[in-house]
Amino acid sequence: MTAPASAPKSPATSDSGPYLQVNDLRVQFPTEDGVVKAVDGVSFSVERGQTLGIVGESGSGKSVTSLTVMGLHNSKRARISGQILVGGRNVVGMSEEQTRRLRGRDMSMIFQDPLSALHPYFKVGAQIAEAYKVHHPNASKSEAKKRAVDMLGRVGIPQPARRADSYPHEFSGGMRQRAMIAMALVNDPDLLIADEPTTALDVTVQAQILDLLEDLQREFNSAIIMITHDLGVVAQVADDVLVMYGGRAVEFGSVEQVMRRPQHPYTWGLLASVPSLHGDADADLVPIKGNPPSLINLPSGCAFNPRCRYAGRNGDRSFTEVPELHQVLERGHLVACHLSEADSKKFYAEDIAPSAGVAQ
Amino acid sequence: MVRFLTRRVLVGVATIIAISIIVFGLFFAVPSSPAKVMCGKNCDPASIAAVETKLGLREPITTQYTEFMKGIFVGRTYSKGTPFEQHCEAPCFGFSFRNNESVSAIVARTLPVTMSIVVGAAVLWLLFGVSLGMISALRRGTVFDKLAIGVSLAGASMQVFFFGLILLFAFVYFTGWLPFPSYTPLTENPAKWASGLILPWVTLGFLNSAIYARLSRAQMLETLSEDYVRTARAKGLPLRRVYTKHALRAAITPIVTIAGLDIGASLGGTFITETIFGLRGLGKETVEAVQFLNLPIVVATVLLAAVFIVVANLIVDVLYAVIDPRVRLS
Amino acid sequence: MRIKGGALIVGALAVALTAAGCSETTNDGGGGNSGENKTQTGSISYEAADNTGPAKAVEGATKGGTLTIMQVADLEHLDPARNYVNVASLTGSLIYRALNGYQEDGSGKMLLVGDLATNPGTDVNKDCKVWEFKLRDGLKYEDGSAITSKDVAYGIARSFAPELNEGSHYIQGWLYPGGTYNATYKGPYEGGQMPQGIETPDDKTIKFTFPEPHCDLPYAAALPVTAPVPQAKDTKANYDLKPFSSGPYKVKSYTRDNVLELDRNPNWDPNTDPIRNAYPDAFKLTFGLEAQQISERLVADAPADQAAMTWQDAPPAVLPRTTAAGVVERVVKGPTQYVWYLGINNQRITDKKVREALYYGVDRDAALKAIGGSAAGTPASTLMSPTTAGFQDYDVYNAPDTGDVNKVKEILGGTTPPPLVLAHTNTALRTAQAEAIRASLEKAGFKVTLKAIEATSYYDEIGRKNTPYDIYLHGWGSDWPTGSTIIPPQYDGREIVDEGNYNLAYFNDQSVNTEIDRIRKLPAAEQDAAWMALDKKILQDFLPEIPLYYDATYVLHGSKVGNAFLSDSYGAFQVAKVYVKP
Repeated sequence: MTAPASAPKSPATSDSGPYLQVNDLRVQFPTEDGVVKAVDGVSFSVERGQTLGIVGESGSGKSVTSLTVMGLHNSKRARISGQILVGGRNVVGMSEEQTRRLRGRDMSMIFQDPLSALHPYFKVGAQIAEAYKVHHPNASKSEAKKRAVDMLGRVGIPQPARRADSYPHEFSGGMRQRAMIAMALVNDPDLLIADEPTTALDVTVQAQILDLLEDLQREFNSAIIMITHDLGVVAQVADDVLVMYGGRAVEFGSVEQVMRRPQHPYTWGLLASVPSLHGDADADLVPIKGNPPSLINLPSGCAFNPRCRYAGRNGDRSFTEVPELHQVLERGHLVACHLSEADSKKFYAEDIAPSAGVAQ
Repeated sequence: MVRFLTRRVLVGVATIIAISIIVFGLFFAVPSSPAKVMCGKNCDPASIAAVETKLGLREPITTQYTEFMKGIFVGRTYSKGTPFEQHCEAPCFGFSFRNNESVSAIVARTLPVTMSIVVGAAVLWLLFGVSLGMISALRRGTVFDKLAIGVSLAGASMQVFFFGLILLFAFVYFTGWLPFPSYTPLTENPAKWASGLILPWVTLGFLNSAIYARLSRAQMLETLSEDYVRTARAKGLPLRRVYTKHALRAAITPIVTIAGLDIGASLGGTFITETIFGLRGLGKETVEAVQFLNLPIVVATVLLAAVFIVVANLIVDVLYAVIDPRVRLS
Repeated sequence: MRIKGGALIVGALAVALTAAGCSETTNDGGGGNSGENKTQTGSISYEAADNTGPAKAVEGATKGGTLTIMQVADLEHLDPARNYVNVASLTGSLIYRALNGYQEDGSGKMLLVGDLATNPGTDVNKDCKVWEFKLRDGLKYEDGSAITSKDVAYGIARSFAPELNEGSHYIQGWLYPGGTYNATYKGPYEGGQMPQGIETPDDKTIKFTFPEPHCDLPYAAALPVTAPVPQAKDTKANYDLKPFSSGPYKVKSYTRDNVLELDRNPNWDPNTDPIRNAYPDAFKLTFGLEAQQISERLVADAPADQAAMTWQDAPPAVLPRTTAAGVVERVVKGPTQYVWYLGINNQRITDKKVREALYYGVDRDAALKAIGGSAAGTPASTLMSPTTAGFQDYDVYNAPDTGDVNKVKEILGGTTPPPLVLAHTNTALRTAQAEAIRASLEKAGFKVTLKAIEATSYYDEIGRKNTPYDIYLHGWGSDWPTGSTIIPPQYDGREIVDEGNYNLAYFNDQSVNTEIDRIRKLPAAEQDAAWMALDKKILQDFLPEIPLYYDATYVLHGSKVGNAFLSDSYGAFQVAKVYVKP
């Protein structure tokens, strides 16, 4: 990598612990209809070189969480509490100017639809160079341009010098996402948040992009958060998985733990709705019945209870008491469910495992 | 780009020709005799016939039309071979039925008035209206925003003649702070040109500002919610740069379109503004010509207005292509 | 009939622009400087004192300054051959001089005197058939060359050209009686050099010879058509833009529909001119403002508008502001040469009793209130306007302004009058007025139906002999202030034709026709009283139609305009003796 005249990054206060640590994060949006509790007491952490997958349906709070980490919510309109430590610095309560200096340099983000996420009026190279130049004010225009071309080459775009002068609409979908990645990585960020980076792409291109991300992670040793509703993607790239529902974390663990031995009925539902490549092709896909809950008016008790086949197996606790994340079975595997371990194991083995997808 | 332009120009020319035929045709559908209008109170059938012959109104309409079009490109001569022979040089739109003045001269006289009004007002409404809308979008929900929405709602629902009259009474009749509007050519005396046109500019500028403020605010809000604006922020760009470079450029595109068409259409005449402030522009000339069945003026001004709109469309298309690279493809 | 300045244009624009509410105002708007009770005493003067320049000085008047005249519409025509509208004639009188002109002083005394001519014309054989004019000494055009009688003759000759046909055609018709005035002679451009009956034995003399007697030629010779036009300076159609000056001012610039600027003609000698004082150094006529804007500006009297005036009546919406102190002194109002009548179709309403009942039934006051009150006019009791020479304010029937219902019942004596159709133009003002008249007549026991007619075809409709309407509103204005252009065209029954009638009462009485012939042959000076007597006789004996009101003008001027008075011959501000206060 040929990073010229790079402004030194502000030193992280702790080099040893996880690069990103989120503690009891709450994000609320007051609206005319009431307070939207988009994220409600979520905690997780990611280390350098590691990938955390966050899964959940839309409205589960996964995107809000990532945008909050990036400091992209308007502090006037969102009420944010808790702690977000990026390299030891708490982003919550930081001034806009301070977070701005972190954005794009210490942490950066890739968005779902690269066509709408890239500015249609500016050349791709210029957009990347701009991202570089803003954090390297001493770099000349030509240096920034050269850096952009380099990055385009690195993400596998052929003839990068020529393509840098193209407009986003002149790129194919996959090329666009590569350009987006090049832009996100132009300042060697320590944390990369990828919000559904492959959802809008063809399946073949999806795999290429994911491979690229993995390669780049190895090279840059960055921490990655992969936000997706696609458990296949998670299975492929993540080290740890966080399952979110109704703004809360409902299950957390390593890929192995969550995919192979899921404990939460919602996770079961997610798995059951994914077609299996290896299992019984005739097995029915079981979508999760009902709709995600309103974040203004969450069901009392466990937010999943209206859609959960097993609610009530433990008296009325599912309807009155919010289940806390607690460790089950193995170290590091956390679940927020009132089902006893035994019940949960039994139901999984009887009802879910035979037809569930990916991990089988 | 060249092909794109050529096609647009051809379509424009065809449009103008079609409009000229329609205007010409419609005028002859009106059951009234321009010759009778022209010869006034001493009218007898003989003088009407004389006038009709002189104006070529006795020819078939198709001949009249081709004569007319020929006049525009090569000029023509009226009353040929009589003591009152009158040559009309190209571009010839004939002579006013009312006072025999050359229509080209009338247009050359009235167009600068309308242009001055429109250009001055457009500068006001674009500067003031667009920035007001942009700022209130960026300060959405603040007192400033609410005030701006209120003012622009009031402005947008106000009529030119009402607002203009209020200004006239407030600044001219009752206080005498400003002179009654008048037109002085810019080249003759820029200060007088401006002071004589302040009231029409403010009137037209303010009312259009209201519309443009609302439009800009809506456009800016829409743009601010675009993904690429979020991307720009995620890159770590300062907010100012996000707004001025990334958001503004996209938000301004539809405004350029509408402004271009508005200005083009206004150049065809701002009748009410001109009338309120006693300025003899193209609009007033046209309306009066319609009232008096002054065919040559009507045809010329309607054609001119059509040309303005067609040209404005063309300019907008080109601007659009300059601003938005996606358009250049087609 | 002389057209009232810009009436057509004002009307059309008013319809297009004025909010309906404005025209409904019934304010009576008082005013200073009232000329209401002024009676025309004028006549023709052959006195040397009256016919010799310079014009009598105006007390306190100062020379210099620029007088601005703000108008809605451009002048129709400035070419003397085509000039027929009162305000254009007034403007023209600043630029060119006719054989005769009106000497006025604002007191109601108006004299027809020689302008270019040394006196108003000599009736050579005392039979009104041969008239001779002698031009004054020292008359010069703007380039210093001498004005000759041949130029006067040429001016009249070119008025025969079909292309220049918009002016008055009295003299032309008298020279070629029977048929169209220019059926045989079509002006100097094609055909003969001079029309028949005009001789210029020398540069100072012009002689007219008519086949028929025309005792009011002195008046006809005051029309712009007798202004001199040197053949070398005749620019034909373009003469309209820049007539060659023989008067105190010349055209400095003329941008049609915008501005006409006049500055001094240094070769005009005030000692040759018994009519004009020409105090201002320049005149500036501006066109294109609305009547309301003009009036508001004159009310406001801003420094730039203080030396300004207008010929445009103040519209009803502005009237309330014209009564304030500081404004009321600058209002001038008075009668014009127009009279409005409730025309009665004598072919249909044959019983004089019914016409008399209608006379008492009409509420003149309400009819006036509908169009602006006293600013718009005053109730009339004569056929001729108070601006007519020799006018006498008589009132045969003595009906109250608001009508007299009891008198109507007394006249009708229990008989039921026929149902009536009242026609009017479909403009807002005339509709309101017709409605007021209908209301008053119904109160008096008549059955009246309104019939609104498009303004452009109104006079065609009621001027058709077999018109189906019983009563209708119509106006008439004279071309010169004597009865000869009022009584004969309107009440000579021999003039009735199938279409295009001016005798809208369709009135035909042998004794009246004979009297008209007799008066026409009287010397001009004796005609005034005779026409007035005939006016009274017609109303008293026949009552063919009902005079409703004398049209009034109600105009404003700025505070620096001195000696602004209404001309009796034009019913508009006279400009010959106006001055700008320093």
